[in-house]
Amino acid sequence: MRRNLAFPAIGVATALALGGASTALASSGSSAPINVGVIAPFSGPAAEFGTLLSAPCQAATWLINRDGGVLGHKLQCTPVDDTGDPADAVPNVTRAISTISNFDMAIGLESNTAATTGPIVNQARIPYVTTNGLVSYNRTHEKYFWRLTPADNANGVAFAVWAIEKHYKRVAVVFENNIGSQGNLPGILAAMPKLHGTITNNLTIPADATSYSSVVSTIISKHPQALIFSGDPQTTATFMANYSQLNNGHLPPMITATDSLTPDFFNAVSKAVGKSYIFNDVYLVGSYFSNNTPAFKAYKGAMVANPLTRKIADVITTVGPPASAYDGMTIMALAMLMAKSIKGSVYNSYIPKVVSKKSGAVVVNTFAEGKKALSEGKKIQFVGVVGPVAFNQYHNFSGQFAASRFTAANNAHQLSVISGAEVSRLLG
Amino acid sequence: MHLLIEAIGFGVASGAVLALGAVGFTLQFGISNVLNLTYGSLMSLAAFLALFMINLGWNVWLTMAIGGLLIGIASVALNRGLLAPLIGRGMQRTSLIIVTASAGIVLQYVIVAVAGPSTQSYGNLQGATLHFLGWTLTTGQVVIILLTVALMACLHLILTRTQLGRAMRATSANRTLARSCGIPTSRVSDIAWFLSGVLCGLAGIALAITIESFDFTIGPIFLVPMIAAAVLGGVGQPYGAMVGGLVVGVVSQVSAAYWDPAYENVVALAILIIMLLVRPRGLFGANWSSRKLLA
Repeated sequence: MRRNLAFPAIGVATALALGGASTALASSGSSAPINVGVIAPFSGPAAEFGTLLSAPCQAATWLINRDGGVLGHKLQCTPVDDTGDPADAVPNVTRAISTISNFDMAIGLESNTAATTGPIVNQARIPYVTTNGLVSYNRTHEKYFWRLTPADNANGVAFAVWAIEKHYKRVAVVFENNIGSQGNLPGILAAMPKLHGTITNNLTIPADATSYSSVVSTIISKHPQALIFSGDPQTTATFMANYSQLNNGHLPPMITATDSLTPDFFNAVSKAVGKSYIFNDVYLVGSYFSNNTPAFKAYKGAMVANPLTRKIADVITTVGPPASAYDGMTIMALAMLMAKSIKGSVYNSYIPKVVSKKSGAVVVNTFAEGKKALSEGKKIQFVGVVGPVAFNQYHNFSGQFAASRFTAANNAHQLSVISGAEVSRLLG
Repeated sequence: MHLLIEAIGFGVASGAVLALGAVGFTLQFGISNVLNLTYGSLMSLAAFLALFMINLGWNVWLTMAIGGLLIGIASVALNRGLLAPLIGRGMQRTSLIIVTASAGIVLQYVIVAVAGPSTQSYGNLQGATLHFLGWTLTTGQVVIILLTVALMACLHLILTRTQLGRAMRATSANRTLARSCGIPTSRVSDIAWFLSGVLCGLAGIALAITIESFDFTIGPIFLVPMIAAAVLGGVGQPYGAMVGGLVVGVVSQVSAAYWDPAYENVVALAILIIMLLVRPRGLFGANWSSRKLLA
């Protein structure tokens, strides 16, 4: 997860953060609930991340608890506020681990804080499915780390592939100077020459500056056909407004990450340069998942059925990271059933077995199906919203990519699938 | 050469907004000797008050004037309600800085609680793009530059041609002596806080118009280059702050054009440090109150 994402109602955020968290310090008795740590910012400028990751937690919890929970335990989502700042994240996560009973699984740990919070959670033997895109985790040896989203450099390659597919051979690369945005850069730099493309400008810009006119002027002088851009909504709006002013109202198409699929980005940029540009010339590239699978229908259904997530179900279910968090929770819950234990140190090794393809295995798409099959003594292969998963030796999985566009309803309309194998080849 | 001239134009446009804010900041500091870090949050408040009025369908320039006046009143209230009582109880200046910083954070989160954390916009108010003398500016930027020039001229006249200006300078130089000479220093202080607040409000709204998109952090983010502009010109000196604002704006844009734009603020701040090493009291040397301003 790379940047700030905003949601329509702050009330929804509060409800999601608090929903199910009221008994986080409950007893650790035999039927005490399993606390799922949603480690994310719940305060500060990036507080919407907490909402973004609480929603899939609520959806997965709702489905799992509806089916009787795990080994007699209900699940509950417990927000752990990392504030988006490592200085606060370390004490907050440490305190949460030492005070919350049955803290047996975690999701979240986004890019700004994962490098400091990941080792703490790993040390506590709590399996976690992260949504961070840090390249440093491509070859991690943290045993309890699992990732179902592509690393940022792979995302960068997907940007380049899409640019070339659209016949944009000359692109300007403009990224904000934050860890998430910059992570995409190596992939673009590696892929563009291999795809016979040219990078006219490779610029890093500060966030929230009063003017980007000088930068824009240098870009315009090189005549790029498209921009590969990553910035927060405010930065993007200011930058594009400056571009429009200096280029007689003409704007090149923009390729950016699916993280930008937020009301905040949509509102900021459309007010600055118009809705027509947003609908027709902004391409969102990120991890792919189909919305026609049984797993997706269950995921969306849980979002809509749960009063806490109903209002934001349409937006959340078009974004990759929440889907991977939802799948991650289901995978961990099924691993607990397989291992017959809720202890991370025991069930962690069963996580790859839940998703691996094996002869005689029944393909299951929901927790209920998996629980039923396991109770009947069958082998299972869980195929969730992100599709079939095969973790590599470093507990990473990066599937296909997709390019999408904004729709009038502020959702994404998928344009094309970008091959994960092609991305891996270009990255290699 | 064309790029340099163009970058200077961009710098003047952003420097004009900086100057507005920096003059207000330094004017208040010159009179009260309080480093008011709430200033940035008051700019944010101004931007959001204007948003509220624009959403009601009011004219943007009218909302700018009303927003400025409201922040002027808020600024006086901040001094009268919080800072003056603490100063009266003998609170140290360093502690006051912490108080103003804390009040600023509280104000930011009040804004978030009321307006939400999302990015906001007045819409595109920049108007047509104008090309002249190698500069490329929007109508909105030109209006803000002219407004800044006009306000700076007014401020100059107030400071140099009026009884109030004399009283402000006297209060700034020595408050006790000024009071014993019959100057109502408390009222002068209120007026200084009010004028500072008006400039703060205008700067906040001008900034929101310029950058097209903003959230509750708009003012606090802007505070650093603004303080840099004020310090560069000489703390407590309105004229220095005007020049400091332009220097910071132009240097940032020129460095972005010719060097790595990621470091545009770093270049401006590095120049500030070098400048202070050479001239510790800033560009304008002595305190403005002791300068011979009257003809």
